[in-house]
Formats: sequence, C-alpha cells, structure tokens
Amino acid sequence: MTSAPAAYGRVLDLVTRVRGVRGAMLVAGDDGLVVAEQLMEGIKGPAVAALAASLASRLRRAMEAAGVGAGQFWHLQAEQGALLVVPAPSGVVVVAVAEPDVNVGLVRLELLRAAEAVG
Amino acid sequence: MTTRAIEPWIFEPLVKFVKEAGARLVLLMTSAGQVLAQHGFSRAVDVMSAAALGAAIMASTDEIARQLRQPPFAALNHQGERHGIFLAAVATGRGRLVALVVYDLDVSSLGLVQLFFEQLAVDLQAASPKDSVPKQVLAADFERELSDSLNTLFGR
Amino acid sequence: MADDVKALSAELAQDPDSLVFLRLGELLRAKGQLDAAHRVALTGLERHPHLADAHDLYARILADKHDFERAFDEWDMTLRIAPDHVGALKGLAFLYFKVGDVQQAAAHLEAAQRVAPDDPGIVQALALAHGGEGGPGPASPAPEPMASSPAAQPLEEARVFAGLEGAQEGLLLLDPSGRVLGGALKDPAGRDVTDAVAAYLAGVSQEAGRAAKLLGLGNWTGLAAEGQHGHVHLTPPTGSALLLVVRERAVPMGRLAIIAQRAAVAARRWLEAQA
Repeated sequence: MTSAPAAYGRVLDLVTRVRGVRGAMLVAGDDGLVVAEQLMEGIKGPAVAALAASLASRLRRAMEAAGVGAGQFWHLQAEQGALLVVPAPSGVVVVAVAEPDVNVGLVRLELLRAAEAVG
Repeated sequence: MTTRAIEPWIFEPLVKFVKEAGARLVLLMTSAGQVLAQHGFSRAVDVMSAAALGAAIMASTDEIARQLRQPPFAALNHQGERHGIFLAAVATGRGRLVALVVYDLDVSSLGLVQLFFEQLAVDLQAASPKDSVPKQVLAADFERELSDSLNTLFGR
Repeated sequence: MADDVKALSAELAQDPDSLVFLRLGELLRAKGQLDAAHRVALTGLERHPHLADAHDLYARILADKHDFERAFDEWDMTLRIAPDHVGALKGLAFLYFKVGDVQQAAAHLEAAQRVAPDDPGIVQALALAHGGEGGPGPASPAPEPMASSPAAQPLEEARVFAGLEGAQEGLLLLDPSGRVLGGALKDPAGRDVTDAVAAYLAGVSQEAGRAAKLLGLGNWTGLAAEGQHGHVHLTPPTGSALLLVVRERAVPMGRLAIIAQRAAVAARRWLEAQA
C-alpha cells in the first residue's frame, strides 16, 4: 500500500504516461475532494474530483440495484474526451481524464494497478 | 421545497446553487445573522435559531483567526453520519454575507458543495447592487424588521 | 370504517412519504368518497411518480368518476412501469370491453390470467368476453374511442426490443424522468429489478451529462461499467431517452457495446414511431 504523498505521484505517473491521458487524480470517494493530482493545464481538479465521485456514487447504487455488484471500472465516453475511473478498496477513487480516442484497455490496466498500489 | 429571498438579486443564484449542489437547506445572512434568503426551511423558528448559531460560529472562527493573526477562515465543514453542514462567507456588493448549507451525504458531497459554492460566490458578486450598503437596523425597528423578513421568507 | 380512514390519514400525516396513501385512497374510493380519494392519490403520485400501484389506484378512481380517457392513460402508464401489473391489465380490459373492443379486452384478460392464473375475477370476465363477442349491450356507456393508444396494439408488438437478445431481462429503455418505456431487467437471481434500477438511472444520466458538460468534454455518448457479477452499458439513444444494457461478466465489454448499439437502433426506431 502506498501512503506518502510522494508515492501518490509515482502512482499517478503509471496512468499519465499512457498516451492520450490528460491527467490523473486520486479522489476521496465519499467527499469528492482531491487527494493528489497530476493534470494538464486547463483541467479543473476540484471539478473533476467532485463530479467523478458523485457519478461513481450514483452509478454504484444503480449497479447494486441491478444485481451486478460493486463497480470495478467505469468509462464515461463523451464527444471531446473521456473520464475513466477505478475505485480502490480504501474508498479512494483513481480517475483519469483522457482524449476520446485513448487506448481504453491500457488506461484501465494502469488504473487498476494504481488502485492496487493505493490500497 | 421553496426558495425565498428578501432581496430579489439573491434569488436566481441561490436557486441555481441549490439545484446543482443538491443542498437540502440553505440560509444566506449578514454577519450579524439577519437572514436575506432561505431554501428548504419550513418553520420560522428554525430559521431564526440556525441564523443565530451560524453567525455565532462565523464570529468565533473569525476571532480565532484574528488571534492567530491569520485572514478569516474561508469555510467550515462539519460532517455527520447522514448530513454535512457547510458554513462560508462570500463577498458581495452588499457587504460580506454568510452562507449556511446543509446537505444530505446520500445526494451530495463536500466536493460538490464547495464546487458550486464557488460559482454561487461569483453569481452573487455579479448580481448584487454595487452602490448600496446594508441598512443599519435600529433596535426600535428590529422586531418589525424581523417579522417582515420572516413573512417574506415564508411567503406569508 | 371511518376510524380506518382517520387512522390511515393520521399515519400518512405523520409520514407523508409512506405508501399508506395506497390503502387510504383505495378505502376512500370504496366508500365512494371519490374527491377525497382523488386528492390522496394525486398527492401520493407526486411523491412516488414511478410507483405502478399509485398509477393503478389513480386510474381506478378516474374510472369510478367516469373519466375513462384519463383512466386509460394511467393504466397504460402503469403497464409501462410494470408490464405484468394485473390491476392495470384488468382495468384496460374493462375499458376495452366498455368501448366494444372485445378482442382487446380478452387479450388483456388473458395476459392478466398468465400472471394471476387463480384469480376468479379474471376467469369470470374472460368467460363474459368470450361469450359476448358481439360487443357490450346497449346499456353500456360508450366513451371516446381509444384505439389509437399504444396499449391498444397487440401486446407483443408494443415491445420495443422484440427479437433482440436479452430483451426481457437485460435491456431497458427509459424516458428522461426514469419511467420505463420498454424492456425489462432481472438480477442474476432472476428477480425483476426493473423499477428499482430505473429509479436510479435517471440520476446517473443527469450526472453523466453534467460531468461531461462541466469538464468541457461535450455531450456524453455512453457509460460503460464493469461490476463484480456483470457489466452494464448506458447510452442516450436520443437526446432525452436512456438505454441500459446489462450482461453477465462473461460477455466482454466490447461485445456489450455492440449489443448496446443494436438496441439503440431499435430504440430510436421505436421512439420515432411513437412520436
């Protein structure tokens, strides 16, 4: 498990090194607040954190109601970009903001690794 | 749930904030605890006590900041099991106002409240009359002013 | 009985969100206090707009008030929320019988009988329908024709995803307020979870739209998620409707996206036909 802020940077490096990723963040899932971030210019960290956590929480309820269990990875596709999210067991959510044509499989893999490192 | 404002320029920014942040209760008041707008309260007595308590908390933290020789704290948040309470000041053309926000953790979060509170501050600043200062309320007029305000806040 | 009304009213006043309004509304309707029943049902509907039983209660009250067109709409809505709702199937059968469309009345009664085979009322009504194919007697009132309503079509044809894989357990089409337009959803244990999921999905879609917009990503086009026991794919087939596809974990996400695309085409076609 990684806990020191410097180590958070290394965890986020895993994600941001993927081509097409514009930023990565660790977000407190319950509060929607930024824990750590590595973002390109122009991406509003607090907004990404609050909105990603809120969407994650609503989606979790719908998925539980559908009987498919807790979400392990989700991908919001939009015309000009994408939001990719993996929740870590500790309640922290690992978030990537990406270009629309990013390699989703690769980002998913790195997000899962980052979530495992965060614990 | 109803939103009501004594001063009309507050109404639209407040309605937008309530919707976006998913706030359950909101009070906007002066630093002295005079309520200018409310959302979600159903009883006048609740508004009066919440306003008094909110203004008192703000006054206490302002004093702590002063003793620490720091600028006033931007915001306070108390999180319970099901609800959160967010208290923050906002500068407007009508002077410094205090916002008390109660939100359900099921439908909102501190992140969402903070995010949309920033927008509320911008909207209030833009909408507020620039050339006026809050009217001083004389003790003799206080009860009548309070009663008028509560009537407006509850649509009576 | 007055005491019951009083007790139920008190219970409702204490907890306005409770479902006790269903019992109170039905009791008032049975007592013939239709205006009071109407008020109770409407207030309940405001708080529980996605509850099939609330629409069914309101429809029964409207039918008692001889407002047959609105009763038809409410039972139609009940079936959109809960396609196997026996009360709504019987109610619509009653209305069809009243306007002389015995064939549709019988079709709805047969659908009701499939859900509740032991209901003696349905057996009797079916016997009446089959025995009176010539239409209702001259004493029956004849409200405005309702044959143009979607529910007047044969039930199978009205299904949005007819012919698509998983149409009855893993596809769901909703309107912007989370009301079911077509399809159905069952959890891995086979329980019908359509209503519960529909209620949550409207919030998910609003949040997806808001997040994409505020983060400068443009309009959202889809939301795919992996769960412990299954995968889901959510997409807006038109500007306002919402389509959900759910499959077990064995179905890869890419294949799920293809299934969702096909279902979106069917949904768009159906929505255009309804417009």
